[in-house]
Amino acid sequence: MASKSSMYAMYEAVQHEMRQRKDMTWLFELTPAVASNPGLPVINLEKEFGRTRVNNTGIDEMWMAGATLGAGLVGTTAVTFIPYQGSQVPFELIQNHAGKLRYMTGGDAAMPVVFIVEISGQAAGFGGQHSDYECDSYYAHIPGVKVVIPSRPYDVKGMMASAIQDPNPVVYLFPQALRQLSEEVPDEQFTVPLDKAAVRTTGNDLTIVSSGAGMIGVLDATAQLQKAGMKVEAIDLRSLKPMDTETLVKSVQKTKRLLTFDQSYYTLSPGAEVIARVAENVDGARYKRIAFPDAPPPASPEMFNWMRPNASHIVAAATRFMG
Amino acid sequence: MSTLRVADHHPSTDNAAGSTSSTSTSRRTLLKGFAAAGAAVSMSSRVSWADGEIGYWAKDLPNEKLVEMYQTILRIRWFERTLADKQLSDRSFRNLIHLYAGQEAVATGVCAALNNKGPFEQLDIIFGTHRPTGHAVAKGVDMKKLAAEYNFKATGLNRGYAGEMHLSDRSVGYIGADGIVGPAAVLAAGSAFAFRARGNKQVAVVFGGDGTFATPAFHSSLNNASLLKLPFIYVVENNLYHQFAHYSYSTPIKDIATAANTYRIPGIVVDGQDVMEVYNKTKDAVERARAGEGPTLIEAKTYRYYGHWGAPGAKVGEMGSFGYDPQAITSWRPERELRAWLSRDPVDICRNTLVSWGVIDQAKAAAIETAMKQEVKEAFEWEAKQPLCKPEDALKNVFTEGTVAARQFG
Repeated sequence: MASKSSMYAMYEAVQHEMRQRKDMTWLFELTPAVASNPGLPVINLEKEFGRTRVNNTGIDEMWMAGATLGAGLVGTTAVTFIPYQGSQVPFELIQNHAGKLRYMTGGDAAMPVVFIVEISGQAAGFGGQHSDYECDSYYAHIPGVKVVIPSRPYDVKGMMASAIQDPNPVVYLFPQALRQLSEEVPDEQFTVPLDKAAVRTTGNDLTIVSSGAGMIGVLDATAQLQKAGMKVEAIDLRSLKPMDTETLVKSVQKTKRLLTFDQSYYTLSPGAEVIARVAENVDGARYKRIAFPDAPPPASPEMFNWMRPNASHIVAAATRFMG
Repeated sequence: MSTLRVADHHPSTDNAAGSTSSTSTSRRTLLKGFAAAGAAVSMSSRVSWADGEIGYWAKDLPNEKLVEMYQTILRIRWFERTLADKQLSDRSFRNLIHLYAGQEAVATGVCAALNNKGPFEQLDIIFGTHRPTGHAVAKGVDMKKLAAEYNFKATGLNRGYAGEMHLSDRSVGYIGADGIVGPAAVLAAGSAFAFRARGNKQVAVVFGGDGTFATPAFHSSLNNASLLKLPFIYVVENNLYHQFAHYSYSTPIKDIATAANTYRIPGIVVDGQDVMEVYNKTKDAVERARAGEGPTLIEAKTYRYYGHWGAPGAKVGEMGSFGYDPQAITSWRPERELRAWLSRDPVDICRNTLVSWGVIDQAKAAAIETAMKQEVKEAFEWEAKQPLCKPEDALKNVFTEGTVAARQFG
């Protein structure tokens, strides 16, 4: 047990699985497959497992995803880390192939693969294609792949272990915002379920639901609201597909107020799906959505920082909700 | 045969200010590099062109294997002709068909050079196309199960979920047909990547039409297979047309095999109508792959007798689609071109080869054809008796476990 960053926690999970499976593969691009953490040994996947298993590819995300899927189809557990700049390039392979092959073959195709898809969106100044927090909804719409999104280092490791061990193809969304987080993470391998949301705080007044990087603002806002006397139930979705409807419904049945928070765009954000599922099952509740406007992120920090929803927006919206 | 070009080095400028020993080290490294390049250029993995290996591997095939190849070609031919005739005469026929007739020798010759029997972890695997019958039958898929899957029966190869375009039979290493043109190439090269990581001798083959040259996956698969020296073979089945467009619309080179030069791998053109030639060239590529020498691009020149899909302009009992195609809203190829290819038929070429080699005589050849037609007939008779799918089964098989919820009832 030690304080670990998200990246180190992820690499620990991967390293453990790669030690168990002698032919498991990891494809990455440009940035070395190395994770370090104060006080802990450096993890270098390429050095430890060699280039036939761990490969630094060219700027070819179609290859990274396709090779990972092709390896899975012949029985090799395979993982790839798609950097945010190429996060949509493998979309067709994941949507039309990974998501459909098991079904189209009547249950024959086996794809024990994980596509880690990085999401950016935190820093101003990089402009539309590098400051974008998106692709949660894009991938979640695909039938046949599990789509998960951790929000903290403990879950990063546990969900990565589960994703690798899962015989189904998994899209593991990794928001860059998580890189700045550290918490106590066990040294041994452990799993976190891929189909259960996590109730982070309990309360009767208001349910706030988010996922991934959004949880940082939600927990910050929740602490402020609780200080002001509001009883907030903050729920971390953790899995977009399959989404844990039961936990969401149970909470809103109690609070009758649901506020969703997404850093991704308003139209068809995960929050929209959350509200639809709750509205089908709960009578007499009220709903509010906070999201990034339906616009690409601008480069100007003044514009970007004004546009991007954060904890202060949650506090203000929650206060209005109660009043 | 493509030549391998090594990047330009000028030994005199390497380590110009260095000591004598470091200069000679760099020269030795350079010369080792040239030697390695020379070895890789050789035609077959173990014995080089210069040592007199002519690569006519078919000469070593035992009679039983040669007869099997002839049977395979006939099975494919009569399976496709049965589908065409059904399309033209049976009002209840509801299959989607992309007929392989004319290309039989390509699938047969390639698969004859692969390991198709045994545990999955030892098989050579193939990825096919949306024109799957040839690859499936040549790899060893049961024709009854094939016929049932094409007609969406619950006991079809993939329980009615695949139809024609998404067949898969892992027991013979047929990872699958693919409805989308292009991506199978990176999947197959990915399987080759897994084989290399395992350190065994399995080989991955992808079949793709001339239309795949334009797809990004063609180039990505060859680039990465070459970089990593993967046991990967790309067989381009150049039948001159993608859907209804001649490949000159999409390809700036006449011989797609020459694209191999860009990736520093061998690019081989082969007469796709001669099963022995296809076998010979595939065997070369398979031996290279197993020896760790990397991928090969094989371009088989071939032709399809019917249209892109269905059997427009064809007549029951006669082979070939002639004239106007309502899907193309025009006649998209010269009738004389089709008739010229029909006069040089893969079934005839294989039969004549076997007869001239004394493997069979004409009477035996005729008996084999009769037997294969009967096998095909029985496959479709079996299929006709198979049950339809249960609608509720649609909620299964999305993931390895469980079913998804029915949402269509509100």
